[in-house]
Amino acid sequence: MSTHDDSVTSRIGEFTRDAVRNGWTRERCVVLLSLGLLLFGVVAPSFQIYLFTEFLIIALFALAFNLLYGYTGLLSFGHAMFLAGGSYGLAIFLQESEPYVSNVVGAGPAPLVSWVLGAVFAVSLVIAMAVPIGWLSVRLEEIYFALITLAFGMLVYSVIIQNPQGLTAGSDGINVLLGVTEIGGAEFRLGDRQIYYYLTLGIVGASTYGIWRIVNSPFGTICKSIRESPERAAALGVDVRFHRWMTFIVSAAFVGIAGVLIAGLSNVASPYHAHWSESATAVVATVIGGATYFAGPIIGAFVYLYARWGISRYPALEAHWEFFMGVLIILVVLYFKVGAAGGLYMLRTWLLDVQAAYRRGGANAAVGFVRESATNKLRRDSDASESDTGGVER
Amino acid sequence: MISTLSFVSVSDLVIGLSLGSRLFLIAVGLSLIFGVLGVLNFAHGALYMIGAYLALAFTTQVIDNFWIGVVAGAIGVGVIGVLIEVGTIRPLYDRVEADLDQLIVTFGFVLVIHEVVRFVWGSQPYSTPAPDALAFSVSVSGSTFSAYRLFVIVAALVVMAALWLFIRRTYFGALVRGTSSDREMASMLGVDVPRLYTGVFFLGSFLAGLGGALSAPLQSTSPALGEQVIIDAFIIVVIGGLGSMFGAFVGAMFVGLMQAIGPSFIAAGHIAIPFLAMVLVLLVRPEGLFGGLGE
Amino acid sequence: MAGKPCTDDVQNGRNGLDRRTFLKGAAGGAAVTTVAGCLGGGDDTISLGALYIFSGFGSLYGEEAERGYELAVEEINNDGGIDGQDVEIISRDTEGDPNAGIRQMTSLIEEENVDGLFGLDSSSVAQSIAPQVQEYQMPLMATHAATPFLTSPEGEHDNSVGNEWVFRNSNSLSHDMYGAAQVAATLELDEWATIGPDYAFGYETWDYFQAYCEGIGVDTAFTEEQFPALEESDYSPYISSILDAEPDGVITPLWGSDLTTFLGQAEQSGWFDEIEYTLFSVGMGTDLPADGSPLPEGELASTRYDPFEPDTEENNEFRETYVEEYDTLPTYNAEGAYRAVYLYRNAIEEAGTNADEIRSTFEESEHTGPVGEYAFAPETNQATVPAIWGEVSYDDEYESNVLDSLEVSDPSPEEMQQALEDAGSDLPTGV
Repeated sequence: MSTHDDSVTSRIGEFTRDAVRNGWTRERCVVLLSLGLLLFGVVAPSFQIYLFTEFLIIALFALAFNLLYGYTGLLSFGHAMFLAGGSYGLAIFLQESEPYVSNVVGAGPAPLVSWVLGAVFAVSLVIAMAVPIGWLSVRLEEIYFALITLAFGMLVYSVIIQNPQGLTAGSDGINVLLGVTEIGGAEFRLGDRQIYYYLTLGIVGASTYGIWRIVNSPFGTICKSIRESPERAAALGVDVRFHRWMTFIVSAAFVGIAGVLIAGLSNVASPYHAHWSESATAVVATVIGGATYFAGPIIGAFVYLYARWGISRYPALEAHWEFFMGVLIILVVLYFKVGAAGGLYMLRTWLLDVQAAYRRGGANAAVGFVRESATNKLRRDSDASESDTGGVER
Repeated sequence: MISTLSFVSVSDLVIGLSLGSRLFLIAVGLSLIFGVLGVLNFAHGALYMIGAYLALAFTTQVIDNFWIGVVAGAIGVGVIGVLIEVGTIRPLYDRVEADLDQLIVTFGFVLVIHEVVRFVWGSQPYSTPAPDALAFSVSVSGSTFSAYRLFVIVAALVVMAALWLFIRRTYFGALVRGTSSDREMASMLGVDVPRLYTGVFFLGSFLAGLGGALSAPLQSTSPALGEQVIIDAFIIVVIGGLGSMFGAFVGAMFVGLMQAIGPSFIAAGHIAIPFLAMVLVLLVRPEGLFGGLGE
Repeated sequence: MAGKPCTDDVQNGRNGLDRRTFLKGAAGGAAVTTVAGCLGGGDDTISLGALYIFSGFGSLYGEEAERGYELAVEEINNDGGIDGQDVEIISRDTEGDPNAGIRQMTSLIEEENVDGLFGLDSSSVAQSIAPQVQEYQMPLMATHAATPFLTSPEGEHDNSVGNEWVFRNSNSLSHDMYGAAQVAATLELDEWATIGPDYAFGYETWDYFQAYCEGIGVDTAFTEEQFPALEESDYSPYISSILDAEPDGVITPLWGSDLTTFLGQAEQSGWFDEIEYTLFSVGMGTDLPADGSPLPEGELASTRYDPFEPDTEENNEFRETYVEEYDTLPTYNAEGAYRAVYLYRNAIEEAGTNADEIRSTFEESEHTGPVGEYAFAPETNQATVPAIWGEVSYDDEYESNVLDSLEVSDPSPEEMQQALEDAGSDLPTGV
């Protein structure tokens, strides 16, 4: 990690000078964020690294879920089946194949090799599940789509707890232990807190970039047009069902990656990962964060996990933390559909306006602008709750 | 498995019917609300649970009378339903994605109600004693049941009949049927649609509360109850047809019998079968096996 | 928030940092930073982490354990603490869920810097935590979770997770079922069935019961098995399936509020008229604190600790103090938690807070508590405490159910091993 320290240092210097000159462009924010994330694994206390790793995985889960919901308008209440597909794919592979892998590559690198192969197997398994399930599910829309994905999800859940062929260990789940890898005399444990953090960071980062590329590709543009109006998209010659199916598969595959990661983090592939209430986690994170923004699910996952951690300091409140999540969901859907991400975006625009006012006429002008916009906001709120955004604002 | 494969025992049948009756009382309100308002109420199971807790509270904590608990459970839950509808469902009717937003809002209530109940009653389960008049056992061909179990089956049939008469034979019922088949037309003909919606939401929630209160003596009452029954209720209304009262009855009996017979016969698969049925119905006949309320 | 974690961090610097640096490489660096930031903090408590179920269907076990360890803490701190330092218990809720359990364990070790862990009700939580405490090199004294695989050394069987950091001060399911098989031998019933929770604990109880019955030569048949999900609200379909099979005896490891629910519904279905004997393997832990449906008199139940047996000064004194404090007899879970705190006190007084020293003190010493004298068996770290079966009866003096006509089962590990081998079973004894 520290080999390109020099180039990084010089680039930081250049970056800072640029930032001061030209303001905060998106690229610079991304670079700064990446740097912060890399440093986090070194300086943060161990438990915080654990919590943050969990956040990254939930963020990927929600982000992949929102590929389907935010971009094609299909609300799945069964995406946990792909999370479980990823966990169990890895767990079953490790359980059944580690001895064979060990025979082929030797005992030293076996844990790492098994994990990589297991991850590939798990994601393939998820795709194999998603192709038929998606093909069947996208025939339905709206509530009916939510119901059929719920049914498929619970079907997977009930298969897992029946322990078919002794594969899934029933309601106990399968322990996932990432052993000590030894390559060329160097020994490391993949499950080590820091190593696992960087592994997760790398995979979640790459996946996020992948999803970003997909939504900004021509394919993504078509998806957005479907979200805005399936009828109009169909009239323009778009095969709506096919696009939804493809999005379903891609979405499932990324959820499968999150499933692989969560199995390694919690050291168990548990049937709980397939339960509908786990699917609800993605829904909750996405709604709180704002489904209409790319970063919405990420911010929502952050709120979801850290709000819980924050109130875990107060045991009486922690016991009822779901209450606050429930209230938050109701309020967001009713009054603030843009979610936390939309809120941040609006805050940024507003701050820039305040800054502009300050440049124009000094402190008095800025204060005047703040006062004016606040009264405007209050007046508009009563109307705003009547109207609906519905479409995609990006 | 080891037990008799040749026939369904009397006890399985009675237990299945009583489970089905309980499920019918939950599902019929859910189906009614969806049929008229187009709202899939995720919190319906939570409302059912409140009904059970109110019956429990009136029987063991407030006054020692189960029947007053049933009435209080049904009306109390009906009122809570009205508050939910007016406060959080009504503002969403005109949205582009109204149905999904409503589903998510009502899911928010699942969490809220679950935690409020846990705060008030704690997480341990309670048992509600059956009313004294029905607190005896009946033996039918070697199997023993509480008389109350048989009573619940009768009660479900009575509710079914009363509801049918209400929808078919009263002015309110005619309005409900009219509005559910064509909302704009009803509105133009002078029906106060928002008020009618609130009325139907009250009725649906009332039925959930009644179901919860009536089934309290048959089951343990714990905060997990709401989440356990809502999924069963979803299965039932999908199989029977969202909006169909008769469908809810048939679906409930199917799931109830499956739950009763499953453990003796198809231990390995009985949890999966209702979900499989749900998937199949959605794919082959998404409107459910039976027609809508208007038919 | 401001003061306390700092003292804990300093403590960590004193006794825990070396092992964590050794373990985690650069993470040690982070710990040093926090220690430096907190210089000047005091160091006057010894903290232990308690992991129990405090919510949901098993919450009564957490509440019972809490009574036990709070009594111990009160006694120890009134008596001058451990080498002048107060003991503090930081308790966390595992929710009976492995994920939550691991998260809470991690937080106790890393955020609270506890000196040792004890507790665990659910076997599935125990099985996922055992490998973790080994990685952290953190002693764990299991006080309730009963799966034999927890103390069966890793590698002995596919599911074995035992290691040198995991101890258990109560008896295990394997031992309990040996006692149950001895009871079955005296009852001479033709057919046995089971109804248990749908996870490892339910299945293992049935497997061990059958294996030991065959191993010690009980002439009987095993006919029906039902495993309803945890937190089932209506057992009637399962009850009806068992009654249809008409067994003479049923062994049930249902526990917590599941047992309470089951008892009410079984009563309604005429269960206790039709089944000759029902053996409740976790019965007494649920029975004493339950308000609603205590075990019916005349049925058989086991306990891992009996408030009247052994009839020693230590046990009698503990029982009476407990009754005075809480107005109810101590359950085995309360006693297990109580004893765990004393085990830590004795070990830390003798060897300090070094984790490795604590561990070897557990291993090497002879111990005593309300339950009697015992030691931890080499290899498994399983306490040598007896399994106790008896008949449920009501005691007017304590206004509570108690066990009568006790059968104290104290087989040697070799006898248990022999029984399993004779039954042709590959299950480990775990003792």
